[in-house]
Amino acid sequence: MNQDKTAPGLRRRWAIHFLRLWHAGIAGGFLVAYLTGDEDTYRMHQFSGYLVLAMLALRLAAGIGAAQGHPLALPRPSRAGLLQGLRQTQGRHPLLAWIAAALLATLGAVTLTGAAADYVHFFEKLHEAVAEASPWVIGLHVVFVAYIYEFRHGLGHWWNAFRRLGRPLLTLLLASTLLPSPAPAAEPAAAARALRLSELAAEAAAASPEFTGFSAERGAVLFGKAWALGDPRTAGCTACHGMDPREPGRNTKTGRSIPPMAVSAKPDRYTDPDSLNKHFTRDCLSVLGRPCTARERGDFITFMSKP
Amino acid sequence: MTRPHSSQRIFTALIALVLSLAPPGAMADGVFEPVRDPVVRQICGECHLPFSANLLPRRFWQHLMQTTSDHFGEILDLKSDDAARIASYLTRLAGDADSGKSGRKFVGRIPAGDNPLRITGTPGFLRKHRLPDRVWRDPNVVTRSNCAACHQGAEQGLFDGD
Repeated sequence: MNQDKTAPGLRRRWAIHFLRLWHAGIAGGFLVAYLTGDEDTYRMHQFSGYLVLAMLALRLAAGIGAAQGHPLALPRPSRAGLLQGLRQTQGRHPLLAWIAAALLATLGAVTLTGAAADYVHFFEKLHEAVAEASPWVIGLHVVFVAYIYEFRHGLGHWWNAFRRLGRPLLTLLLASTLLPSPAPAAEPAAAARALRLSELAAEAAAASPEFTGFSAERGAVLFGKAWALGDPRTAGCTACHGMDPREPGRNTKTGRSIPPMAVSAKPDRYTDPDSLNKHFTRDCLSVLGRPCTARERGDFITFMSKP
Repeated sequence: MTRPHSSQRIFTALIALVLSLAPPGAMADGVFEPVRDPVVRQICGECHLPFSANLLPRRFWQHLMQTTSDHFGEILDLKSDDAARIASYLTRLAGDADSGKSGRKFVGRIPAGDNPLRITGTPGFLRKHRLPDRVWRDPNVVTRSNCAACHQGAEQGLFDGD
């Protein structure tokens, strides 16, 4: 099969469009894969990694069918071409072929070891090592292309590129800062908490005529003291919640992390009646061997609400 | 160069092969369906990692939801509609329900008739956790069921790798 028959079939303009889209695809895929390399975003990392691999395969497939000189052609890096090409100013810079080969080798190694690591554990370390090297090769490619454009097209090209790309980006950036940020939920939470406290105050007054109000000091004692009246693993609240209510705690039985108890560190605390009832029953049983009274509940919330 | 070089063809064929074997999202072992139901996630996840329903067979989850008054020493004071929702969720996605390869393999190691009481006692767990005692005694581990102490992706159901 003669390549010259297929080459005119792919019009140059479309080939250039394809190359632009392809660059967006592979660069975007790599960026996402590079930034999501940790365990928490594994699926995203895996997907974007395979996207880069697919892009590489696509580029190779497109290049194989292209005639020499066609935008999609993949010039072979050669020393003779390099020496000759450095003296000419027309056509592709011969170093591009070398850098493209380095890119292909690096990205190919990164994605293939990544794909292999899905099956063979051994490849994981290799994958990480090659991945760390890849930004340098990509950087070299970007710097070199920038250098060629600068050299051959002058500064006007960069100004145009900025006008085309930079200005909309800048506008977008400005617009995003001007967008209304989500209003803090502190106000409704504070109102709900005040309502809970007034309900508890009514309950406490009904239970004891001597009740005059809640006390943050009594709440601090309730929270900080080692009562040792319930479950031996939870002598006091601090067994799970830690000494500083502004810090996260840890469930001493399961190891599960617990958000801070202080309202200053977690503003939506003590607002949901069901949740309050559940915790002041179950957790008080665990510490005091009995559910907490309305006064104790109010004291506790008052202490935790201190700024 | 006007003709495709044979080595290039082979390379492309290799890439195509890899791609066809491993489409994006192809999942390795050790990946379980994380608890996606927000109510189940909130209620179970309040005290411990919301364990994937894939990790245990239906008979276990049914037993668990019938014994909420002694949940590993704790009293679970669940509202009846919440309890029903949790039970239906867990049994629907149990490892021996139609819930995917990882769960089927994990739960398939439990001998028939054996009613496991804890995930940490199942053969699927034990064969992957032959670790020195000092690992279990690490103060950050607290207990064997604290998956997230070592598995950073535990919350997302990812247990392969670490």
